[in-house]
Amino acid sequence: MLNEGRIDLLERAPLLKRLLKARAFQPAMMLATLLVFTLAILAGIAGTPAGSRNFGIVFVWIVWWALLIVVLVPFFGRLWCTICPIPAPGEWLQRRAIVRRGAARLWTRGLRWPRRLKNMWLQNFGFLAVALFSTIILTRPGVSAWLLLSFLLAGVLLSALYKNRVFCRYVCPVGGFIGLYSLVSPVELRVADPNVCADHKTKDCITGNEFGYGCPWMVFPGSLTRNAYCGLCFECLKTCPKNNIVLNLRPFGSDLTVAKERRLDEAYKAFIMLGCALLYSAVLLGPWGWLKDWANMDTLPHWALYAASFLSANLVLLPGLFGLSVWIGRSASGSGQPLRRLFVDYAYTLIPLGLAAWIAFSTGFVLVNGSYALTVLSDPFGWGWDLFGTAGMHWTPLGATIIPFLQVGVLTAGLMAALNTAYKIARQHGIPHRAAFVEALPVSGFALVVTVGFLRLYLG
Amino acid sequence: MARRELLARIILGLIVIGVPLAVLGYQYGLRPATSSTRIVDVDLRVPEDGGFAPDAITVLAGEPVTLRFSALDVTHGVAIGPGLDVDLGPVDPGQVKAITLTFDHPGTYTYYCTTWCSDDHWRMRGTIQVIDPANPAFVPTTAPDPVIAALIAEGVDIDAAHGSTDAHDADQPLVFARPLSAARGAALLPDTTIPAEVSDPAWRRTHTPAQALDLLADANPGAAQVDVLDVIAHLWTAGTDPGSLADAQALYDQNCAACHGQYGNGDGPAADTTAEQPVAFADPAYLFGMRGDVLYAKIRRGGMGTGMPNFGTLLTPDETWALVQYLWTLPVADLDTD
Repeated sequence: MLNEGRIDLLERAPLLKRLLKARAFQPAMMLATLLVFTLAILAGIAGTPAGSRNFGIVFVWIVWWALLIVVLVPFFGRLWCTICPIPAPGEWLQRRAIVRRGAARLWTRGLRWPRRLKNMWLQNFGFLAVALFSTIILTRPGVSAWLLLSFLLAGVLLSALYKNRVFCRYVCPVGGFIGLYSLVSPVELRVADPNVCADHKTKDCITGNEFGYGCPWMVFPGSLTRNAYCGLCFECLKTCPKNNIVLNLRPFGSDLTVAKERRLDEAYKAFIMLGCALLYSAVLLGPWGWLKDWANMDTLPHWALYAASFLSANLVLLPGLFGLSVWIGRSASGSGQPLRRLFVDYAYTLIPLGLAAWIAFSTGFVLVNGSYALTVLSDPFGWGWDLFGTAGMHWTPLGATIIPFLQVGVLTAGLMAALNTAYKIARQHGIPHRAAFVEALPVSGFALVVTVGFLRLYLG
Repeated sequence: MARRELLARIILGLIVIGVPLAVLGYQYGLRPATSSTRIVDVDLRVPEDGGFAPDAITVLAGEPVTLRFSALDVTHGVAIGPGLDVDLGPVDPGQVKAITLTFDHPGTYTYYCTTWCSDDHWRMRGTIQVIDPANPAFVPTTAPDPVIAALIAEGVDIDAAHGSTDAHDADQPLVFARPLSAARGAALLPDTTIPAEVSDPAWRRTHTPAQALDLLADANPGAAQVDVLDVIAHLWTAGTDPGSLADAQALYDQNCAACHGQYGNGDGPAADTTAEQPVAFADPAYLFGMRGDVLYAKIRRGGMGTGMPNFGTLLTPDETWALVQYLWTLPVADLDTD
């Protein structure tokens, strides 16, 4: 039953509903984040090249990243997309308005996005490309700034060529994994009654009206069953004349068992995110200095070898081993399901595990390096300023004694969620309890081995 | 246009154009213009990537100038000499350390890195040329160092392989049978005849301990050589002010230890990068063949072709003599300050 066991936050908090319906809400938030974004780019280009003293590095890759992966995504899903400044300039140009409901005709060439790119593959390869150069991007403010600027320019360009938020929906490497991991979050935007939408002739949520635009994410709320592609822009909340939009609080991981929209591109996103978390942890936290040198491009042949290994691990090795475990489960259970379907279905078990791995990795990272934020707050550009008297603060790693416990706790929770999801997926294949248990067992073993691998890296 | 829309557009303009203009305008326009002193920003990179930038600054005598040093890659250290007693200590990557100085007289000063930042660390130097505002074209010349001038006049080759005790009396080969002890030497002093020249500190600066050994052996025919060596250890290290010795040790640690080793064993972390193996001051056989003024000259002028940099532009003559005095303590076991 739709919305069963959900709490509609908009009904419980009328003030929240009023806020989200206000046209000024999203632009105001975007302007605030755009200010931070502008400072980050400016610091990257004009400030000190020392990453730990540059606002651009510290606030983007430590503060924002930790906020995103530890708080926003697990608890609020795509809430970052609500306030993300990257698509804002393009969207405002397209609408020729920031706050008010602009002209009905958008300022764009209005081209059709290629059908074969209507998936997550561009985002998958975009994320892999960024991840390949991450040790450079994360430590060199100039490189980081130009990357952010290129995202912004890509957003503007795509808005000029295509309707709506094509950049967010199909291109943004960050938006891809936020969408995937928001399947876990306990917040969802849905409709109260799909029949109301089905019977509604004008479909204002698609076409827009005087109160708002048609869904920029090209999603029909009436058929929304997962968080993956709803950017929480709340335009539908503004345009719906039937008051049919709800913002639900729900159990964690509710979308993981929605079977009908599972796809290979999303499955691969799960592998890539898990693989990158594993490889990041090995490179940045592991005891192998040579590996860090290779990732840091000490020589071109070393980096080429690193890149080849990195891509192979993400695109071949991890999916290959996972596919093997799926095949074993299929053979042992005799379920008779097509192997491709099982491969895609079970890949969703890696979503909570991958998210937990990123939380564990980021928790350690932010607690150890978070004190740099206070330094750069006073001296954002490394020019010897001292705005708040904290520029002279020394690096102070926090929580050294509790970090391992937090990491073990988060990874254990992620593993439990993965095992639970695996069993539920197995039962969706219409097989009895025992066969479902056998079918899910090798995949569960795979998740366990991966978790042990993370624990080895974090605990030494 | 609705007021809220107009306000949003103004805010957007302020963010995208106003903020960068304000930040850059303040840093490069307003800040220097409103500063009570002239500000010179100096970037610090390892010498392989450029060292100090700029590496030459010209200031007017009597003009207050603020030097802001920003480390851009690794931890560096900054000191300015000679004779200014300016040491800003370590400057971590991204950190900015500043100092405001007023140079009273025309002259040349050196700012230099005091932290072993790379193999070419010792090349990391910059000069401050202080000129007379009344006569900007005049560049004062540095007077020749009298100690070095005297050595040249005497015909001493500063770059020759010193540290040899060949000149020592061949009848009594020099053997260091036990570690040198200044305390034991001091205890033996009342029973030892000290020739007048050996008692003279000025003579000791221009002669080697090995030469003193010959004179002492002649004056004390029954004395064992090991005891005479201790007496020499005492004579060459006596009367040193502990405070200046500590300062000299700090100078040694900062400038010499990377090559010559923390304890003077010639085994510092950068020893492998020098053209010749750095000498071991802790080896008494080396120092017994050295004159103090030659050590002084080598420190101030550098060692030609050896990789030994010059420190004459960094240290005052007094600091250099204090450093020489510290070197004499390195082979003496009971003066080991560590």
